[in-house]
Amino acid sequence: MDHPNTIEAEKLVREFKKGPRAVDGIDLHVDAGEIYGFLGPNGAGKSTTVLMLTTLLPPTAGTARVGGYDVVHEGPQVRSRIGAALQEAALDGLMTGREHLRLQAALQALPRNERAARADELLERVGLTEAADRKVRGYSGGMKRRLDLAMALVHRPRILFLDEPTTGLDVQSRTALWSEVGRLAREDGVTVFLTTQYLEEADVLADRVGIIDHGHIVAEGTPDALKAEIGRPTVEATASGPDGRAELTEVLERFGTLVPSSRGVAVRLDAGEAGLADVVRALDAKGCSVANLELHQPSLDDVFLAKTGRSLEGHGGDASEPE
Amino acid sequence: MKRNLSVAQGVAWRTLHNVFTNPSLVIPQLAFPLFFFTAFVGGLSRIHNVPGFHYAQGYTAFQFVFVLLQSAAFGGVFTGFGIARDFETGFARRLLLAAPHRTGIVIGYAVAALCRWLVTAIFLTVIAFAVGMKVGGSGIDLPALYVLAAIVNSAAVLWACGVAMRLRTMQAGPVMQMPVFLVLFFAPVYVPLNLLTGWIHGVALVNPLTRVLEAGRSFVAGSPAQVAAAYGAAFGLAVLFAWWAMRGLRKAEAAG
Repeated sequence: MDHPNTIEAEKLVREFKKGPRAVDGIDLHVDAGEIYGFLGPNGAGKSTTVLMLTTLLPPTAGTARVGGYDVVHEGPQVRSRIGAALQEAALDGLMTGREHLRLQAALQALPRNERAARADELLERVGLTEAADRKVRGYSGGMKRRLDLAMALVHRPRILFLDEPTTGLDVQSRTALWSEVGRLAREDGVTVFLTTQYLEEADVLADRVGIIDHGHIVAEGTPDALKAEIGRPTVEATASGPDGRAELTEVLERFGTLVPSSRGVAVRLDAGEAGLADVVRALDAKGCSVANLELHQPSLDDVFLAKTGRSLEGHGGDASEPE
Repeated sequence: MKRNLSVAQGVAWRTLHNVFTNPSLVIPQLAFPLFFFTAFVGGLSRIHNVPGFHYAQGYTAFQFVFVLLQSAAFGGVFTGFGIARDFETGFARRLLLAAPHRTGIVIGYAVAALCRWLVTAIFLTVIAFAVGMKVGGSGIDLPALYVLAAIVNSAAVLWACGVAMRLRTMQAGPVMQMPVFLVLFFAPVYVPLNLLTGWIHGVALVNPLTRVLEAGRSFVAGSPAQVAAAYGAAFGLAVLFAWWAMRGLRKAEAAG
């Protein structure tokens, strides 16, 4: 029987003793070859969901099937089909990068005569060939993440779980990792389940996005569809002088709903982009002195704000999810 | 089965690699048994002259058996420390995630414990013969002692593995070590069972390690005694702690 490279969950729940419901009845369907971005702030339930889907944590209730296999009753079959790079790249500082790959190959029962070549291939792919025989304790955070990804790919999994893979990475390492993940999905047809707290990451990489908050999925769809659901763009004006803010607010609130802005006054336009000309005319008529006027298309943060009443931007930082 | 063996091979290789490429791990493993052996044999050799002490091979051989069994037991416990460290650092989660068949993880740790103890056993044996240990009996008696010690090593690592997988912290070290320490030293360590008196004699009588120790000494003397009881006790402990370790694995799985 050919098993699909899909991820499915129904009413999945994880409740910790003396703790909250970290995951509270979520439903998921991720198609084969799709990159699914699981977006949410720290403590939203992203990592707990990944732990359940990768068979590391049994669900309290509900069911989940990964690669066509039940995560509770068919754990060995699930594990042989998935690769995973978890939030903490737990590596052994006493071993080299190459030795880690060799160990992973043994754990996955890769034929002995393939192990060395596969390790070389992956080390080259993640740019660690030169550092391959150095002990991992001397690796930078980015190198550890890349080795972690290489280890997840040793047995050519058809489904890949990446739990906040770019948290704490510099821009260059982050871009390189995005490029590799994109290539895996588009060229190799790997299904990717990616958790992130970076809006840009979900926007750039994901075919579809699920937004999780307090253990619930509050929105799901393609990034464009989610943004279109919010629909209206935002116009943000910054006053030239210190006293102009009240005047700007008085004018702008006539054109839509005020939204939080750190720099000036922002309003979600009721009339959409077409309302911008009216805004400019009204500001001019009122004699407002405006230093800066910007039109923002809806972002995933706007989606998050609309669905949860909170902004995700600046919420995450580099802290780990305390779950 | 093949996949379980591959997992076991991977886990064992990694444990042995780390032990034998790190002087801070390998030196104590060899130095402690040697220290006990030289201290007991050198400092207590006149016990051989105590009335009622009838061990023909002498006090060196008498103590060699205890130190060999002690190294086997502590070799297992020290491997348990490594398991606890793997849980504390998160590396165990990687093993649980990567290994389709997780029983192989326990087997791998047990194989590693056995291999690292074999190195200690060879080292200790060479030293013992170098300082004049006398061995009686046929060619089968001494290997029988090593097989017995290997079973003790497996029982100890499975005990420690069960503790490590339940507590999942390095702070579990004393919990692993203390019971093994007590079982070892409540056996007739320095004198034969018949020379012990009082409560220690009573405890030693019911201590399963007493049978193992007495049988081990009888192998070296070339007159095997209590063989079935010794093997039965060691094997029974190994089976009991295998169950304990597998239950520990299930608890670790449930804890995530």
